Amino acid sequence: MMSLMKPDMQMDESFYKIEDIRQLTGNAFSIKLPKARFAFKAGQHISLGIVGGNQSREYSIYSGENDPNLEVLIKEVQNGYFTPQLRRLKVGRVLEIHGPFGKFGMEPELAAHGKFVFIASGTGIAPFRSIIRTYPTIDYTIIHGVRYSEEAYDRDQYDSKRYKLCTSRENKGDYYGRLTGYLKSCTFAPETHFDLCGNSDMIFDALEILKDKGFDRDQIHCEVYF
Amino acid sequence: MITNEKKTVAFKTLGCRLNQYETDALVTDFSNAGYELVDYNASPDVVIVNTCTVTNQSDTKSRSVISQTVRKAKNAVVVVTGCMANNFKEKLERQDNITFVVENSRKSSILTLVDSHFSGEIVHPDQLPQDVFRYEPVRKSLHTRSAIKIQDGCDNFCTFCIIPMVRGLATSRPVADVLESVRKTVENGFKELVITGVNIGRYEDGAVKFENLLTMILELPGDFRVRISSLEPDGFGDDFVKLFAHPKLMPHLHLCLQSGSDKTLLRMRRMYDVAQFRKTVKQFRAIYSDFNFTTDIIVGFPGETEEEFQQTLDAVNEFNFSHIHTFKYSVRKGTRAERLENHLSEKVKNERSLLVRNLSVENKMNYFKSLIGQKQDVLIEKITQGTASGYGQHYAPIRFKITNGQRNTIQTVRLTELIGDDENCYLAGELVL
Ligand SMILES: Cc1cc2nc3c(=O)[nH]c(=O)nc-3n(C[C@H](O)[C@H](O)[C@H](O)COP(=O)(O)OP(=O)(O)OC[C@H]3O[C@@H](n4cnc5c(N)ncnc54)[C@H](O)[C@@H]3O)c2cc1C
Ligand code: SF4
Repeated sequence: MMSLMKPDMQMDESFYKIEDIRQLTGNAFSIKLPKARFAFKAGQHISLGIVGGNQSREYSIYSGENDPNLEVLIKEVQNGYFTPQLRRLKVGRVLEIHGPFGKFGMEPELAAHGKFVFIASGTGIAPFRSIIRTYPTIDYTIIHGVRYSEEAYDRDQYDSKRYKLCTSRENKGDYYGRLTGYLKSCTFAPETHFDLCGNSDMIFDALEILKDKGFDRDQIHCEVYF
Repeated sequence: MITNEKKTVAFKTLGCRLNQYETDALVTDFSNAGYELVDYNASPDVVIVNTCTVTNQSDTKSRSVISQTVRKAKNAVVVVTGCMANNFKEKLERQDNITFVVENSRKSSILTLVDSHFSGEIVHPDQLPQDVFRYEPVRKSLHTRSAIKIQDGCDNFCTFCIIPMVRGLATSRPVADVLESVRKTVENGFKELVITGVNIGRYEDGAVKFENLLTMILELPGDFRVRISSLEPDGFGDDFVKLFAHPKLMPHLHLCLQSGSDKTLLRMRRMYDVAQFRKTVKQFRAIYSDFNFTTDIIVGFPGETEEEFQQTLDAVNEFNFSHIHTFKYSVRKGTRAERLENHLSEKVKNERSLLVRNLSVENKMNYFKSLIGQKQDVLIEKITQGTASGYGQHYAPIRFKITNGQRNTIQTVRLTELIGDDENCYLAGELVL
């Protein structure tokens, strides 16, 4: 297959060849790359570009810190610029990765002793999979908001008692409706740490609910995708 | 340098304090190496343009300065550096009349590059070492205060900001280096230091965080005072607030609020909310009632509703900023905000910008008035026809009559009145003898 790299272009530290693509739904897929050549904290993100292309986007790392592959979870956005290009990529193509970035990374000390509620919309589940794979004994509950149950990406990899699926367009999850509706009905221990990831509207609403429940903003961490 | 003839160099700087500091350090470098600093219009042998790319206007300005330079200084060695050199490297490199394009990370080695050029050695800018902290402590400067660079880069990726793309990952200058730079800068005669970086609150060298470093700087001997350039409101502990009781640390912070709406802040990917900002302001003002806060506000961010904008006006009123750097949102190519929905019309942005600016002037006048009657220690920047001007501890501009005064000295002044009723208003005072 033809590579986008110019013949004189050196294989750079930041270049990663796609090893596998897992189709998860009609428009969501994961890209598996060789093991990260940088140390990262589960929860952090990278920037990803197609070698020879002129744009890049940020993606949370989907794999755990010690996994043999670096993996990202991607949803193709209709009329998006970058994701339709990613969607067309085949195994063997080269991506340019920079990072890791961001303060959303999990601290080992906290993971060992803390109690966590992870709140995600759509692909916002990505950093939490990384965290759970890195810290398999972590005390967590995931509240995952999607439209259809098929978007419960890699659901079988989470402890079913700890994974709550909220589906807004069909009654096939643990809760029928938006995740914020479910969140309102929940009670949490006062010392809980909340990590929120996904679109800013969901994060805004969830923050209001948690603040109404009396949680301090300093207990809540957010990663906004758009 | 190998020629006997003294070569001349001129600088043009655009953009932020960090860029200004880096130019000052290069001026020091070139002067130490025997170059003569001349005006940009005096046909210099070397022109260094230190560009900015933070907004589209900065790009336009930088581009225009570059074209002016290559037109005027036909036979000069033209070096283009700064954030635009990172953002548009290939494009600039294709311009024949630019001799060198040097990225930010290699900026500190420009003297080596220029010297090699004059000695006939062929060195490509990409061969220069990458070190964002390798700057000489500023000696010869056009300013009375010197910046101390402690940090570079940022990986917050606020959706409107291009900086992470051009300045790279957050990185901190080693503690020992920072302290050495402070010592030398104070030895060089500077009375006021401004702690500078891209996101200085993120400073971290091993166990030393920003407030620890600040404590170490304040404890260094010498007759100097310290300001903090600009901080992200990421949440501060009580210890940081208490630090401002130190006589060397000035009671002023430029805390970037950007918007008074939590929804807008999230769309900007700013990771604090208005309540947290409020808590910080209250923490400070509970101890230092006249503490001066200034800020940046972006108006007309994509999707900003009337209600969200009103929340910004409310916040501006509540926090009583003495100065607001108001940015009318403009699309920055390559940022996430470029692709957000609901971009606002220029008309709406202009209207909103005007409202914030008007409020800002009102607040500024009120804050300055509240200082009347106080004594302020003014660092004199300029003396013109017996009138000295400079800034007091709170960073309010002050003017007063003086005989036999000297630039770069600190004088105590009692504030008597506010002069002017616009953005450029200032305080007048009398020298306390
Ligand atoms: C820190 C960070 C981590 C991210 N991690 C992931 C990740 O793990 N997986 C992932 O798929 N995306 C992630 N994103 C979003 C990603 O960077 C791109 O914005 C997304 O892939 C769309 O790119 P595009 O060029 O196709 O769309 P663009 O042409 O850039 O259009 C952008 C529009 O698409 C919408 N949009 C953006 N992201 C999504 C999304 N994930 N789902 C639905 N609509 C969206 C928004 O309305 C936005 O205005 C992350 C973003 C950030 C800031
Ligand atoms: S904190 Fe945000 S605005 Fe400031 S430099 Fe970093 S990305 Fe830009």
